[in-house]
Amino acid sequence: MKAIVLAAGEGVRCAPLTNTRSKVMLPVANRPILEYVISALVDNGIEDVVLVVGYEKEKVMNYFGDGNDFGARITYVDQTSQLGTAHAISQAIPALGDGNESFLVLNGDNIIEKETISKLIANHAGDATVLTTPREKVCGYGVVMSSEGRVKGIFEKPKRQISHMVNTGIYAFNRDIIAEIDKTEISERGEYEITHTLQNMVKMDRDVRVIVTKNLWMDSVYAWDLLDINARLLADCESNISDTSVVDESVTLIGNVEIGDNTVIRPGSYIVGPVKVGDNCDIGPQVTILPSTSIGDNVSLGPYTYILNSILMDNVRVESHSHVSESIIGFNCNFGPYSICEADTDVKIEIEDELVSVDKTGVIVGDDCRFGSRILVEAGILVGNNCTVRSGTKVDRQMPVNSTVL
Amino acid sequence: MCGIVGYVGHEAACPLIMDCLRRLEYRGYDSAGLSVLNGDLQTYKAAGSIENLAEVLPAEIDGNIGVGHTRWATHGVPNDVNAHPHCSSDIVVVHNGIIENYLKLKEWLEDEGYEFVSDTDTEVIAHLVHFNSNSLDLFEAVRKSMAMLEGSYAIAVMSKKYPDTLIAARKDSPLIVGIGDNAFFTSSDATAFVAHTRDVIFVDDREIVKITPEKVEFYDMDGRVLEKEVSTIDWDVEAAEKSGYAHFMLKEIHEQTRSLQKTFAGKLAELEGNVRLTELNLTDEQIRNIGRVEIIACGTSWNAGLFGKYLLETLAGMHTDVSAASEFRYRDPVMDENVLTIAITQSGETADTLAAIRNVVQYESSTIAITNVVGSTITREAENVVYTHAGPEIGVAATKTFTAQLIALYLLAIYMGRKRNYLLPDEAKDVIKALKELPGHVQQVLNQRDQIRKNAALYADCRDYYFIGRGLNYPAALEAALKLKEISYIHAEGYAAGELKHGPLALLETGTPVVAIVTKNRTYEKMLSNIKEVKARGAEVIAVADEGDREIGKYADLVIRVPSTNPLLSPVLSSVALQLLAYYTALEKGCEIDKPRNLAKSVTVE
Repeated sequence: MKAIVLAAGEGVRCAPLTNTRSKVMLPVANRPILEYVISALVDNGIEDVVLVVGYEKEKVMNYFGDGNDFGARITYVDQTSQLGTAHAISQAIPALGDGNESFLVLNGDNIIEKETISKLIANHAGDATVLTTPREKVCGYGVVMSSEGRVKGIFEKPKRQISHMVNTGIYAFNRDIIAEIDKTEISERGEYEITHTLQNMVKMDRDVRVIVTKNLWMDSVYAWDLLDINARLLADCESNISDTSVVDESVTLIGNVEIGDNTVIRPGSYIVGPVKVGDNCDIGPQVTILPSTSIGDNVSLGPYTYILNSILMDNVRVESHSHVSESIIGFNCNFGPYSICEADTDVKIEIEDELVSVDKTGVIVGDDCRFGSRILVEAGILVGNNCTVRSGTKVDRQMPVNSTVL
Repeated sequence: MCGIVGYVGHEAACPLIMDCLRRLEYRGYDSAGLSVLNGDLQTYKAAGSIENLAEVLPAEIDGNIGVGHTRWATHGVPNDVNAHPHCSSDIVVVHNGIIENYLKLKEWLEDEGYEFVSDTDTEVIAHLVHFNSNSLDLFEAVRKSMAMLEGSYAIAVMSKKYPDTLIAARKDSPLIVGIGDNAFFTSSDATAFVAHTRDVIFVDDREIVKITPEKVEFYDMDGRVLEKEVSTIDWDVEAAEKSGYAHFMLKEIHEQTRSLQKTFAGKLAELEGNVRLTELNLTDEQIRNIGRVEIIACGTSWNAGLFGKYLLETLAGMHTDVSAASEFRYRDPVMDENVLTIAITQSGETADTLAAIRNVVQYESSTIAITNVVGSTITREAENVVYTHAGPEIGVAATKTFTAQLIALYLLAIYMGRKRNYLLPDEAKDVIKALKELPGHVQQVLNQRDQIRKNAALYADCRDYYFIGRGLNYPAALEAALKLKEISYIHAEGYAAGELKHGPLALLETGTPVVAIVTKNRTYEKMLSNIKEVKARGAEVIAVADEGDREIGKYADLVIRVPSTNPLLSPVLSSVALQLLAYYTALEKGCEIDKPRNLAKSVTVE
C-alpha cells in the first residue's frame, strides 16, 4: 500500500508560527508534525509516500529529502494552486504509479502514531473508508454519521452536535476514486473538498465505510495547542545523552532528559524532564529547564535563565537572567538579558477577528525576532515574525509581522 | 574528470553498472560506455548523456562482471569512438586520468602492429596490457604496464580469457573498492555504489587490486600482498538526490541553513571566546612560529582562499598569500619550514592542488587541507585535515561547499588568532556569536528568493555583469561573478571596487548591471562613491546591503537585503543571495544549471 500525505496548506490559525513555514513543519518534541505521520506510515510498512507540497515547500523538502533518513521513499507533488483536498488528491494519484492497489490519504498536520492507522490499513474494504475518532467536543471539526460501519453522512463543522465521531481526515481509497473526484463540484469556499466527494458517494449509495480509532490523533488548531501536544509527546521521551555532548558533573538531571550531539550543559544547571535538548546547544551555567520543554538545535541559553513548559525552536538565543514560561519561541529569535515571557491563566487571545479563551498560556513569538534587554512580553501576546523590540519595553499588545516597538 | 566503475559479483552486472554510472554522471558527461563479460565481451558506448547509452543497450545482457565509464573529454572530441571502454582484442579498459607518454607508447605499439581507432590516451593502455598479456597473466600484464605508463590513472581492466577477474589500479587518480554482500564494486567515487554498500577500501597510489566473485586482494607494484583497512562511508547517497527541487544547485543552496551548522558543530566555545579544532596536530610552538601562510586552491576554492587571507590577517595577524595551485606548482615559491600551507579543495582530488601540496612536502613545513570528502587523496597528502562536512554536492557550481569552506576558515583564523594571542577572547566571542546566528540569517536570505528571482529576470539578457566589493566583500564579488559565468554563460567579472578607475570603468555602458556588495564595514562610504562612479557611466546598480541600511536606496536601482550581522560574517550572507541571483538568471535563460557546458565537478586532471 502507498500513501498520499497532504502537506501543502499554510495553517493560518497557527499564525504567527506559520508565517514562515507550513503547519506540518512546526516542531513538537523537536520533530516536525509531519515526521510523526511519516513514521506512523513507515511503522505500518508503508514506505512509498507521495507528499503534496505547496506553501513553504522548501522547508519540507530540505528536512525530508528523498525520505531515506526516515525509512521512506518520498515523491513530491507540487500543488501550485490551493484548490482543496480533492484537487490535491487527484493531482497526487499519478505519482502513486501504475497498479490498482488502494491507497491511504492523510493530513500532514495531525499527530498520529502507528496504531492509529493500522486497523484502517488492515480492514479497508468497499469503495472508500473514513477513519474517525470519538471526541467529547466536536466544535471546529468535521463529523461523520454512520450506522453498522457504513457512512450515512459527512458534515463540515456542523453548528449542532449531531455526532461525537470526528473525521480524522484519514481515508483509504480505491484507485477509481479519481472518477468520483472528477464529478465533485466546487464548494462555497471555492475549493474541491474530498468530503463533498464522499458525501456524493454516500448519496449514490456507494459502499463508504467507517473505521474508528481511539489511538493518538491530535490536531493543533491554534499555535498554543502545540504546548499540550509537546507535553504529551515528551511524556514518552527517554533519557539519552549523546556521546558527543558534554554535561558537566555538577549538572542535575532529573527524570527523562534527552540531549543531542555536541551540546554543552554548563555547571550548576538544573534540568527536570521530560525535556529534550537538540544538537549544538550551549546551555548555562546555572540554567533551569523544567517540564515539559523542547529545545531545538543550536540554541544558546545564558546564565540564570529559567525555562518552563515551552518550545524553543532552532537557533534561539536567550541571554542571562531571562524567564520563559508556557511559551513558544520561533526559529532564530534573540532575547537580551533580563527578558521575560510571562504566563497566565484564562487568557483571551484575539486571532482572525475571533476572541479565543485559553486556560493557560504564555507568549507565541514568530521567527527571526530580536528583543533587547529587560523586555516584558505579557501572557497571550502573539509576536509576528521579524519583529524588533528595543530594550526596556513592555509588549502588551499583538505585534504584526515586521513591526518594531521602540 | 571522468568516472570509472566496475562490478564483480553474482547479479546481472549491466543494470548495476548503469545505476553506478548515473550517480557518477556529474563527474563528466560528454559520453559513456560499458562492457560486460559473459564468455564473450560485450561493449556499448554512446556520445552524450548516460541516457543515450541506455537507449543503445539491449533489453538484457548476461554476465556478472563488468566495467563502465563516464567521460569528459581531455584527448579527442566526444563521440562514440572515443568513449570508453577501449578494447584491444580480448582486453577491455576504462580509465580516468591522463597518460603523459601516450604518444611515445602509441608509436611503439603501432610499430608492433597495433591499430588505433580512437584519439584517446586510454586506448594505449588497452593495447599495452594486451601486448604484455602475450607472455604474462592478466594481473602481471597490468602490473608490467603500470611500470611503463607515465601520468595519472585509475583503471579497471578485464579480459575474455579471465571470465571472473577484474583488475583495477591507481596512480594519482582516485579509486575506491566497495565491499558488498557477495559482490565487489570499484569506482572513482564512492557515490557510485554507496546505494549498494557503505563498506569501502581506499586504494592508494601504485596499488593493484585483483577482484574475483569470491574475494578482493591488494598488491603493491612489486606484487606483494597488502593488508588494507575497511572504512565505512557515513553520508547518504540518497542525499544526492534532488528531493523535489528542480535542480541540485537550488537544493544545495537551500541546504546551507543546515550545512553551515554541521561545519561548526562541536567546535564553538562562545563563553570561552575560542574554537576547538582537535583535528589539528600543531603544537602551540609551531603555531607561534608560523611566519607566513600560503593558501593553495583552484576556482571557487581559490575565492574562499582569498577570503581566508583577509580573515587570517584580520583575526590572526598572519601574513597570508593565496596562490592558484596551477601557478604555484610552476613558480619558484619562496618557502621555508615556518610557512603554513593551507590547501583548499572540495573534492580532495583536484589534480593541481594535490600536485602543489606534494611540492610543499620538501620544505618540511606544516600543511592543512580543507576538504569536503572524507578519505579523499588530499587527506593523505596533508598533515592536518579540517573537514567542511557539507555533505555531497552534485551541482557542478559549488554553493554549500563554498560557504562551508568560509566557515572552516573562520574557525581556523579564530583558532590561530587565539593561539597566537593576537585575537582577544572578547573579539573572538563576537565572531562566534555571529557564527551561531548565521544559519538563521541564511534562512532569512533564502526567504527572499522570489524577489531575487524577479531581479534576476530583469538582467538575464545582458551581455556583461560586473560585481564589485571591498575588503571581505571583494572575494565575495569574485565568487558571485564566477557563479554567474559558470551557469548562465553571461560574461561576468568581479573587481575590487577601488580598482574600477584602473580600467574596468571603460567597459561600462548604459544599462550594464553592476552588483555592488555594500554591507556595512569600514569601506562603506568608499563603496557609495564607487556606486556613484558607475551610475555616472550609465550602469544599473544592484546593491546587496544590510537590512537596516536606509541610505542605500538613494544610490542603487535595486537593493537585495541581507540581515545585519558582524561585518566579518556578512559576505557569507551576500554570497548566498548572489548564488540565488546566478541560479535564477541561468533558469531564466534556460541553461543546464547542474551541468554547465565544458565544466566538470571535480577537476582531477591538470
